[in-house]
Amino acid sequence: MAISVDPPSVSAGLIEKAGYTFPFLSDPKAEVIRRYDLLHPGGGPNGSDISRPAEFLVDSSGTVRWTNFTEDIRIRAKADQMLAAAKEIH
Amino acid sequence: MPPADQYRRNWPLWLGTAFLLVTVGINVPQIYALDIPQGILPWLGLVVPAVAVACFVVGVRRAFAQPEIYRGRITGSILSLIALLLFVGSVWLFSHVRDVPPSSSAPKIGQKAPDFTLPNTSGQPVTLNALLSMPIDSSTGARPKAVLLVFYRGYW
Repeated sequence: MAISVDPPSVSAGLIEKAGYTFPFLSDPKAEVIRRYDLLHPGGGPNGSDISRPAEFLVDSSGTVRWTNFTEDIRIRAKADQMLAAAKEIH
Repeated sequence: MPPADQYRRNWPLWLGTAFLLVTVGINVPQIYALDIPQGILPWLGLVVPAVAVACFVVGVRRAFAQPEIYRGRITGSILSLIALLLFVGSVWLFSHVRDVPPSSSAPKIGQKAPDFTLPNTSGQPVTLNALLSMPIDSSTGARPKAVLLVFYRGYW
């Protein structure tokens, strides 16, 4: 599931363009992004507040089982890393 | 002006040009999607233009010191300037892309992920708890083992 400050209409366009099959949630006021301490103040275009890239794998009890906080916004978690983390959960 | 066959190849200028082209290639964002160790790319992005500048300095000095043997005073100077600008830009980019908040209070492994409610692309409110407990296979009623939360910068 993907979360950003993009409004639902923008995410809908992205899903259509890229063919993603997972849900996209919108946090335009960055409330959840703030609650997760991921706010990147002024990190977006024209000094807008956005989320820093971060990934969390949450198990069915709601417990965080794996996280990834990149040091460089160009470097993201790869699919095989995330799949390996998911396979650890039974 | 000596005849052309008395010139020697000013190879540092050629080498610098090669590194200049690699610098451009390394900054294509798609390169980060390739199946190579990503961690090395930001450092290559700094080192390669620095090496290009060094090559041009050597080549241009040669061209000015021994113009009867080495060519490239004008071309070399222009390319040196471009390489220098690319290097300065690379240093700026390197610090800019690593300017991410520390997120020291973000949920850690073993902690509960705070629940939330956010609208999906249809505008329907979705909660984390609902995603964790909602059946993903209507025929078996199987529930997800986990949910992957991907926070991204947006503005794609």
